[in-house]
Amino acid sequence: MSSTATVLAAATDTGTGEAVTFWVLGPLAVLAALGMLASKKAVHSALLLALTMLSLAVLYLAQDAPFLGVVQVVVYTGAVMMLFLFVLMLVGVDSADSLVETLRGQRVAAVLGAVGFGALLVFALGDAVVTNEGLDQANSEGNVEGLANLIFARYVFAFEVTSALLITAAIGAMVLAHRERHLPKITQRDLSVQRFRGGQYPAPLPSPGVYARHNAVDTPALLPDGTPADASVSRVLAARGDVRSIPEQASTTAIERAAPRREDDGS
Amino acid sequence: MNPMNYVYLSAVLFSIGAAGVLLRRNAIVVFMCVELMLNACNLAFVTFSRMEGNLDGQVIAFFVMVVAAAEVVVGLAIIVTIVRTRRSASVDGANLLKY
Amino acid sequence: MNTGLTLAAEFETPSVEYRLLAPMLIVFGVAVAGVLLEAFMPRPFRHETQLGLAVAGLLAAFASVVMLAGDYSVAASGSVAVDGPALFLQGAILLMAIPGVLATAERKVDVGGVFAPAGSSTPGSPAERLLVAEKITQTEVFPLLMFAIGGMLLFPASNDLLTMFVALEVLSLPLYLLCGLARRRRLLSQEASLKYFLLGAYSSAFFLYGVALLYGYAGTVRLSGIAEAVSSEAGNETLLLTGTALLTVGLLFKVGAAPFHSWTPDVYQGAPTPITGFMAACTKVAAFGALLRVLYVGVGGLAWEWEPVIWGIAILTMGVGSVLALTQTDIKRMLAYSSIAHAGFILTGLVGTDAVGADGELLGVSSVLFYLVTYGFSTIGAFAVVTLVRDAAGEATHLSQWAGLARRSPVIAVVFTFFLAAFAGIPLTSGFTAKFAVFSAAWAGDARVLVIIGVIMSAVAAFFYFRVIVLMFFSAPAPDGPSVVVPSPLTTVAIAIGAAVTLLLGVFPTYVLELAGLASQFVR
Repeated sequence: MSSTATVLAAATDTGTGEAVTFWVLGPLAVLAALGMLASKKAVHSALLLALTMLSLAVLYLAQDAPFLGVVQVVVYTGAVMMLFLFVLMLVGVDSADSLVETLRGQRVAAVLGAVGFGALLVFALGDAVVTNEGLDQANSEGNVEGLANLIFARYVFAFEVTSALLITAAIGAMVLAHRERHLPKITQRDLSVQRFRGGQYPAPLPSPGVYARHNAVDTPALLPDGTPADASVSRVLAARGDVRSIPEQASTTAIERAAPRREDDGS
Repeated sequence: MNPMNYVYLSAVLFSIGAAGVLLRRNAIVVFMCVELMLNACNLAFVTFSRMEGNLDGQVIAFFVMVVAAAEVVVGLAIIVTIVRTRRSASVDGANLLKY
Repeated sequence: MNTGLTLAAEFETPSVEYRLLAPMLIVFGVAVAGVLLEAFMPRPFRHETQLGLAVAGLLAAFASVVMLAGDYSVAASGSVAVDGPALFLQGAILLMAIPGVLATAERKVDVGGVFAPAGSSTPGSPAERLLVAEKITQTEVFPLLMFAIGGMLLFPASNDLLTMFVALEVLSLPLYLLCGLARRRRLLSQEASLKYFLLGAYSSAFFLYGVALLYGYAGTVRLSGIAEAVSSEAGNETLLLTGTALLTVGLLFKVGAAPFHSWTPDVYQGAPTPITGFMAACTKVAAFGALLRVLYVGVGGLAWEWEPVIWGIAILTMGVGSVLALTQTDIKRMLAYSSIAHAGFILTGLVGTDAVGADGELLGVSSVLFYLVTYGFSTIGAFAVVTLVRDAAGEATHLSQWAGLARRSPVIAVVFTFFLAAFAGIPLTSGFTAKFAVFSAAWAGDARVLVIIGVIMSAVAAFFYFRVIVLMFFSAPAPDGPSVVVPSPLTTVAIAIGAAVTLLLGVFPTYVLELAGLASQFVR
């Protein structure tokens, strides 16, 4: 290795600990990102993206950006990705993504384009002569103080304008998701008034008949005078014609009582 | 280790995200890929910030996080609305607008 | 940086020049007041109050822009440039936003307005029928519009790339939302919103990576700092070139230039028509302002590098816009492709970097500024006319439905013909003077081949405009064709403003051309 390269390496070199962190977490982030791309289920994609973001958070910590590392965990993995998961649950997790190609050649073109773009970026940046000033001086009063100094002085207008973004986001979510009530809310009292005014049967409906063999919902209960109580059977069954008639029930029960018990009932 | 490695990592992640937007059909996953691209940008900002020895890059990364959070709210609200109207999150289903 | 012992001694209080930032502060203030009105004002009065507040705010902001004229400096610790192009474009955006907001507020053409009664209700559901019956409309659109306008005012004035990125998002997010709120054909509108959102977020990621690389190159995101680094040839040139390219991709997307135009027709067709007009005019103005500032101030020293690229993109954009517009059968899509073609014509003017006029004005800048004003007003007027031609299902946008429109409503047909003539660049309309200005700037900038291609493309473009005119005047109307609705004064005023500016700038362009010339110098 030539002497200039050695000098350059010395100027830009980072510690061994950082190198180890990078070579563990860097490939992990890339693999998780690729997994996000390839996984069929959106939830897996979301979790793998969260893994990438966590690796990046550690890399921020390694690069003298403790505040950003923490914000990355809190905001990105904590808030943004959880919001993604929330929406995925809302939409339905089992809606697996169809990976069928709809535009012919689009997938190949996309992969080639991306590989080409990535290669272009990496090789274009490859001959970069880098300086590594380090942040020791900038962070001398603490990272958070340094950032605050910039945010509230040089970038104060951008900071104020972001409030417009946050308000827009809040209004947007309300406009698209919040349903305003345009009718007065129906209270418990309204419901009970409605129930008695309607002239319907106010009490809970009687339960269906329970007999020795037919304790089923399709069997009406008997009133004290022996007639079946129609209200005790679901209207749906009545409409389907699945209700057992009581005389039939009564007679079979009576016959069974009169007849001697057989060995097996099913034959 | 040369700190440019971080920039290469960010370029690779950015390309993966860019490819994902073109490859995936589910609007939510497409949007996740955009988030990956923004994260890649942030890594580049943090790295350049350290190389240049000033904190501007970290401040920008912080702003990007704020912007991304607002963008996520709006984007997911739009996706939820369209899913509610159509019961599908696939971008292929969104095919009423054609040449 | 921070080498002092205590923070209190070190922290320099930021300079926030409220007077210089007044246009933006007024608009953002009105937007916030609008949000509060939504919370406290009883529903029956909201629509009128919001409209009055918005228009008053726009007028006040315009007045403050006029008062700032000639007073050029940087504000807010150097992150906002208050200079000729910024103030000219801010004034233009504010004036265009007035007819835009008026057309948006129209409630007579479609009972209840162009927006859905509630963005959250499912189209066709009983809940929505109830809202329609009670004539409830979504009035949150006004604060959203004002936030978008505020972002547009900041976008061409941002003096560092971080502020530019924030402004880009501030102007985009409300527009994504507004696109999805159409009353008729809601699913179409929501799809437009989704497409605009996903592609917009994608392009802003590219913009951001460009910013990152430029930061890596110059160590600062301030445009003047980047310009210094470019002129001193310090740093790594690959970072600079890749960064500039990615940044330009993000901006060209917003402008709607080919090959980043694919969102334009879909979004323009699906969005509520007055929003389409507003978007087509004001977003284009703001985005071209930002593009001008980045290319002239930030990487002006690289002009010999980016000029050929802009050349190619201008030709491609004019070609794609003009040729694909020929094949369209929907009037809104046709106007969308026409707007792509116009982006190409404007890019032509941008190439004339070294063209200097008689009074030392930069012709490249002043011609672009002038073109943006003329195009914006004609576009808002044209889209406002589109809202009036309706049948039972809503707007009748299929071209075949426009056949014989002159028999049904001669006035509307003549007005629309006038706008189309302006788009085509016929003399006595503003479109002619604007095309003349950009082509002469490019000619003076030695881009002669580009000018010749541009003239040919405007001939192609003229063909499809005349196809519509012929269709309106010389075809027999379909028996069950659409009718032309008589609008309320709101849309009438919007169309009248558009037509009046188109006529005035066609007949007496001198004053505005001189103003654009005076406003062509950037502060650094």
